[in-house]
Amino acid sequence: MKEKIRIFLGTDLLEKYLLGTTTLEESMQVERYIAMYPEVRKTYDELQANLETFAKLHSLKTPEGLKAKILNRIKAQNTGRRKFQRYAIAASITALLFAGSSYFFWNQNQNLQDENVIVNNKIRNLEEDMKEQLEDVRNQFIVLNNPQTKKFTVNGNKKAKELKAVAYINPVKKLSYINVRSLPNLPDNQCYQMWAEVNGEMVNLGVIKNVDDKDRLRPLPYAENAIGYITIEPQGGNDTPTVQNIVANISY
Amino acid sequence: MSSLLEKHIVELLHERNEKAISLLYEHYGDTLYGVAFKVVRDSELAQDVLQESFVKIWKKSDSYDSSKAKLFTWLFRITRNTAIDKLRSVNTKSDKEIQIDVSDVYNLGVDSIRPEFMDVKENMEKIEHKYHVVLDALFFQGMTQQEASDELNIPLGTIKSRLKIGLRELKKIYGNSMILLPLLILM
Repeated sequence: MKEKIRIFLGTDLLEKYLLGTTTLEESMQVERYIAMYPEVRKTYDELQANLETFAKLHSLKTPEGLKAKILNRIKAQNTGRRKFQRYAIAASITALLFAGSSYFFWNQNQNLQDENVIVNNKIRNLEEDMKEQLEDVRNQFIVLNNPQTKKFTVNGNKKAKELKAVAYINPVKKLSYINVRSLPNLPDNQCYQMWAEVNGEMVNLGVIKNVDDKDRLRPLPYAENAIGYITIEPQGGNDTPTVQNIVANISY
Repeated sequence: MSSLLEKHIVELLHERNEKAISLLYEHYGDTLYGVAFKVVRDSELAQDVLQESFVKIWKKSDSYDSSKAKLFTWLFRITRNTAIDKLRSVNTKSDKEIQIDVSDVYNLGVDSIRPEFMDVKENMEKIEHKYHVVLDALFFQGMTQQEASDELNIPLGTIKSRLKIGLRELKKIYGNSMILLPLLILM
């Protein structure tokens, strides 16, 4: 073992380690020897002490003002680091605020776009409704004003004697309307429903909800030799007319 | 340097207290400046080296491990390496050859000694010139042992033995002044 230490101390590894010029591998080897062998440790400590002594022999008075320069540089470094940290924090906050406001505005924009779509749809629907109603009114005007329009008075049968309606048929323009002026009252669970038999097929014209608007004209599908019916049906209407409940028919 | 003060400085360094740098400068500044000057042989450059070394010391203060090296050894390594790097970069810039005049190096070292080391200076003269030259070349000129051997025209084996004897026998050469030295510095 002594021999091993002697050989180790015979190399210049310890001196190189002292000056910090050993490779990583060499450093590990030296550190192992220092840790394991007190003699090596002692030699290393002596070398360190001698180095310090030797270096001190060459001490030189430092120039005036150098200490202040160095301390300023260290301070500048620290404040630089602190400044950087401050900037980093400020930048983070700004970024967060920006992200927050961006999201807020994006969200608002999204809501406005949705609203815009809804409003546009409403306008389109209104336009369509208006066109439809205008067309209807135009047609009613044509039918009512046309000399070729035939007027039929419709009376209810035994089941509904009070039923009175007027049908307007124009074979030239192929338009027909009905105006239901009065209907006998029905129990709550029943309603009047209109039908039209067009080319052998029964077309559902819907439930007559109320007759409050006595001047309202309801369009009838036009066909040659069509027949309109009013029936009593269960509340809510029926898919097919109940023949025995026919209260009025209009042939046109 | 008392080990108590050394401990205190190390603690301050680990706490990243700027006072550590002030204390280091007060107690090691002259020695490290001497080291830097010995390597670069120019007072302007030596000042730059010392500034850069202290910045490095401050930056690396977390990495100092007192179980691996004495504080001075660590400071010396940083300063010496910074000085050697500086010299290399200056030489690369100006494309100048480093002329190592052995006797000049020796004289510089002796002449620039602080007055309070006068008794040390006397002792210094006791170190045989041949050892001093080798120590100087290796410690301050940044030469490898092979380079020192080539430069000084001394066989590698002799360089090795002179380095060993020079370093290990310093204590014997100085005798009791070794014990007085730390006291002198503190005063």
